[in-house]
Amino acid sequence: MDTTVFVPMPDDAPAGDDGHRPAVTPAVRARALTKTYGRGEAQVRALDGVDVDFATGRFTAIMGPSGSGKSTLMHLLAGLDSATSGQSFIGSTEVTGLNDKALTALRRDRVGFVFQQFNLLPMFTAAQNITLPVELAGGTADQQWFGTLVDTLGLSKRLEHRPSELSGGQQQRVAIARALIAQPDVVFADEPTGNLDSRSGAEVLSFLRRSVRELGRTIIMVTHDPAAAAYADRVVLIADGKIAGDITDPTPESALAGLDALRTVAAR
Amino acid sequence: MIRLTLSQMRRSAGRLAAAGVAIVIGTAFVAITLIAGNVITSTTYDSIAAQFKGADLVVADAPAGEATVDAVRGTDGVASADPMTMSYQQLEHGGRTIYQGVLAKPTNLDVLPLEIVDGALPDASGEIALPVDVAERLDVAPGDETDLVRGAFEEGTDGTEPTWTEVREQVVVSGTLDDPYGAYAMLGGAAVAPAADVADWEADMVAPGEETSAMPATVLATLDDGADLEQVRTAVEDAVTTTAQAEEADASMLEVVTPDEHAERVAAETTGGENVVFVTFVLVFAAIALLVAALVIANTFQVLVAQRTRTLALLRCVGADKSQLRRSVLVEASIVGLLSSVVGLVLGSGLAQAALAVGRNMDLGVPLPSAIEVTPVVVIAPLVAGTLVTLVAALSPARAATRVAPLAALRPAESPTAARGAGRVRLVLSLLVTVVGLALLGAGVALSVVAEEPTTGLLVALAGGAFSFVGILVGAVFWLPKVVALAGRVVGGSGPTARLAAANTLRNPRRTAATSTALLIGVTLVAMMSTAAASARVTMDSELDARYPVDVVVATDLDSGPAGAPPVTDGLAGTVAGLDGVATVVEVPVTSGDVSVPGGDDATLPVRAVAPADADAVLRSTEMVEPLAAGTVVVPEELSEVYGITDGDALTITGADGTLEGTAAVTDLVDDGFLVVPDDLARLDAAAPTTQLWVGLDNPADAVAVVPSVQDAVADTESPAQVMGAAVERATFQQVIDTALAIVVGLLAVAVVIALIGVTNTLSLSVIERRRESATLRAIGLSRGQLRGMLAVEGLLIALVGAVLGVLLGLVYGWAGAASALGWAGEPVFVVPWADLAAMLGVAAVAGLVASVVPARAAVRTSPVEALAAE
Repeated sequence: MDTTVFVPMPDDAPAGDDGHRPAVTPAVRARALTKTYGRGEAQVRALDGVDVDFATGRFTAIMGPSGSGKSTLMHLLAGLDSATSGQSFIGSTEVTGLNDKALTALRRDRVGFVFQQFNLLPMFTAAQNITLPVELAGGTADQQWFGTLVDTLGLSKRLEHRPSELSGGQQQRVAIARALIAQPDVVFADEPTGNLDSRSGAEVLSFLRRSVRELGRTIIMVTHDPAAAAYADRVVLIADGKIAGDITDPTPESALAGLDALRTVAAR
Repeated sequence: MIRLTLSQMRRSAGRLAAAGVAIVIGTAFVAITLIAGNVITSTTYDSIAAQFKGADLVVADAPAGEATVDAVRGTDGVASADPMTMSYQQLEHGGRTIYQGVLAKPTNLDVLPLEIVDGALPDASGEIALPVDVAERLDVAPGDETDLVRGAFEEGTDGTEPTWTEVREQVVVSGTLDDPYGAYAMLGGAAVAPAADVADWEADMVAPGEETSAMPATVLATLDDGADLEQVRTAVEDAVTTTAQAEEADASMLEVVTPDEHAERVAAETTGGENVVFVTFVLVFAAIALLVAALVIANTFQVLVAQRTRTLALLRCVGADKSQLRRSVLVEASIVGLLSSVVGLVLGSGLAQAALAVGRNMDLGVPLPSAIEVTPVVVIAPLVAGTLVTLVAALSPARAATRVAPLAALRPAESPTAARGAGRVRLVLSLLVTVVGLALLGAGVALSVVAEEPTTGLLVALAGGAFSFVGILVGAVFWLPKVVALAGRVVGGSGPTARLAAANTLRNPRRTAATSTALLIGVTLVAMMSTAAASARVTMDSELDARYPVDVVVATDLDSGPAGAPPVTDGLAGTVAGLDGVATVVEVPVTSGDVSVPGGDDATLPVRAVAPADADAVLRSTEMVEPLAAGTVVVPEELSEVYGITDGDALTITGADGTLEGTAAVTDLVDDGFLVVPDDLARLDAAAPTTQLWVGLDNPADAVAVVPSVQDAVADTESPAQVMGAAVERATFQQVIDTALAIVVGLLAVAVVIALIGVTNTLSLSVIERRRESATLRAIGLSRGQLRGMLAVEGLLIALVGAVLGVLLGLVYGWAGAASALGWAGEPVFVVPWADLAAMLGVAAVAGLVASVVPARAAVRTSPVEALAAE
């Protein structure tokens, strides 16, 4: 089963001092997380000793230019890929070091995913797609939670439709419902608006924010779009495989400024 | 464009190779068939050439008779001339009987292609030289005597009609023979006897007053040293023709040829006959295999085109026109077809060569050539067939490629969607053909069973069966997915993995239908053959039961009749009963009885006795002795017709010790006398000798092994008894059916194997195209085991649906076939060969599972990260 390793918390994440947020403890942590590709001369350090915490019940965006290592960071945090060195945790479970079976169970029970390409199963209806993770675990979906999700995401009239009969925004909302159905500890979203027009994109981002605010979920979103990042509670900036900045309560402007700063650094 | 085609092929090399395997097998099949046909021809040629080894000229189709031989012998330049005469005679020794061709010993031994192993060639009348294996089977050595039983017309003593009788003579084995060139291997070897003896035997078989054998003669001639072949040839021709005219015989067919020319001519006749039948017969199965291969190929290309939608669309965007795309696909298919055909040809030739090498070592009794003969046909036919089939199979995918819109390049990459459903025309057409076919099938069965027109019935049923099967196959795309859906719903209840698998099989109904159909074809045909054979066997069994009610009869009274026949040696019954494979032995006593029928002729006939319980135990069909009881005389139907006895007649039989009054009960019994109970027989003749043992075997199929041991046991007692192994004939009949079935099933198995390759191929292609989906499933929590399970269920579904439907169709066709072929013989029996069908389903299930192993390995290697990767 899951190996539980106690790791002393480094300087605790900022306590919830502003009134509208609950107190937060880290849902996901990375410690000296490193990923290299290739060997010798051709070696590339995609991720170079990253230390970062993601608070529970928060919507965090990881932002950086192409090739900055933001996607790699997410893959390692979610247990989709193996780290070269360092550790990552979901809750108190060390993800680095789990075998495939344990990782599968972890993904199934404690992690949700939202993909850029939606990745719904074309032969299943929206409802079947949503409940699939629970069924793969051998259980049945909690009807009340299912209803809450469907209502929140505005899908109640689309449940019997197949993905090919849904718009991009609707498909991504189905994907979000699928990611949330097992009430995971954390949901990873990889450029969730990358394939959507700006209106649908805004809609999807609002839903993500609502699921954090109203449903108490934790979401980590990878994006290169400052406008999308502005929907998050916090933006972690990453460049050249290292953490390069941290913006709390971002606005599109502040996020863009942060990104620009990175580009300037990179150009120098 | 050709460079693009080639680079695309390189990218899909693995997938194309898998599809190519189907063509490789199909073309190898064709190549082997054609090579086997050549082997048959050359074996025939070699063996005929060997028969004339040593002769310089062969005078073929000459008028029979000494005059012809003398004419050849008298021609200038001819050193020797011998007629080639072979007489078939029955040899018996120690209870064993062999029917053997006996050659007349030629005056010039050079023209005899046989060699002495031991002893010498026969010199004096009454001597015979036997092939080594025949001498072994008869258990005789040079110097031993053996019986020669032959038929002859016997001159009536006082001017009555000559009668056909059996003559038993003792002949002395002078030596044993080897046939080093295999000249008579195909005729079961040849013995040699003095020419005069052979001539006598042949002459005795001609009724007095009739012309001697009308069979044209073959004369083997050798030339004097230095004689000119062509001159002598003309001279011989003239001499024989002149003689024939003088004798008023027909010499129009006469040919004077060299041995090689003669062998070529005869071999060519064979090639036009059995050879063509063989090759055509096997090629039908090769065609079925290629048809299945075509389905597999069509499927593969369909998928490849779907997967390349984006590339194709891009090409359209940059200016490729439709015909260029179509040509690209067709060129690809041609290259795959040609390469696979070449591999198939090489593989087929290699296998045939290996089979020849093994065959030569196994000493099959037929001299096989050492190397296969590669004629232009052997090379060209498989190449053309393989390439054409691939090309034709790719036509529809090529058309699909032209339908790709340039716009598709701009759309987000989705996993390729299914081709749209097939058209209405196809539906109507397939329905029509199916209905007409089924109607014809029914009509054929009715014609055969009701109207008792088996020949017409079978033909009509055959046409109907072929029609309806084509209709069903063409329509498969409509109904097969529905069956898969139904099966999917059934298995889908068992959990999410199975539900995923079921849903997967339905996303591409056409592809699933084509894959299942490929398997359906083979399985249907195998199931049909096996059902028809099982039904035929049951029908034949009852027929055989009636004809051969007793498995083995040991009799001393066959030649002489009951009067004066010696009784069976004491203790023989016990010895035979103790043999392995013998179930029951019944001693059957016999006496001669004078029978008087009211209103009929009197006759003297054998009367045998058997207790009803013993009869039930030993007879295969007890119906024929059912009426047997005290006071009843069972009369064989044949005798009842001869003597005008009808069922219920009061018969009076007078024997040595008394008279028996009994009621006639006519049955199907096949015997030369009446059958009564032992007590009744005792009244006729208290000391009736036992002249027959009726032997029942545990399993009549073992007759081939058990009957010789009975023969040995009889031979050991040195009693004059004969052993009639009717069970051997029964076993032979059954063996014929079983062998035919095994051959046909073996030939059809090739199609099934190709279809199973198709299942693997389809699954592999699906896995490749569902990469992202597999990754997504892994990311949201599908375990590797579940992924493997999903593919296993998919493979099982595709394979089992094809197999189950095939078995059901095969049952219907098999029954219809058996009914129309054997319906005239009585009530058609419908048999379900459970074991065969279960084996077929088992093979399909295992194959479906195995087919999923390789694709599953590729699928589980897919990292969940790929779900996130943008195209």
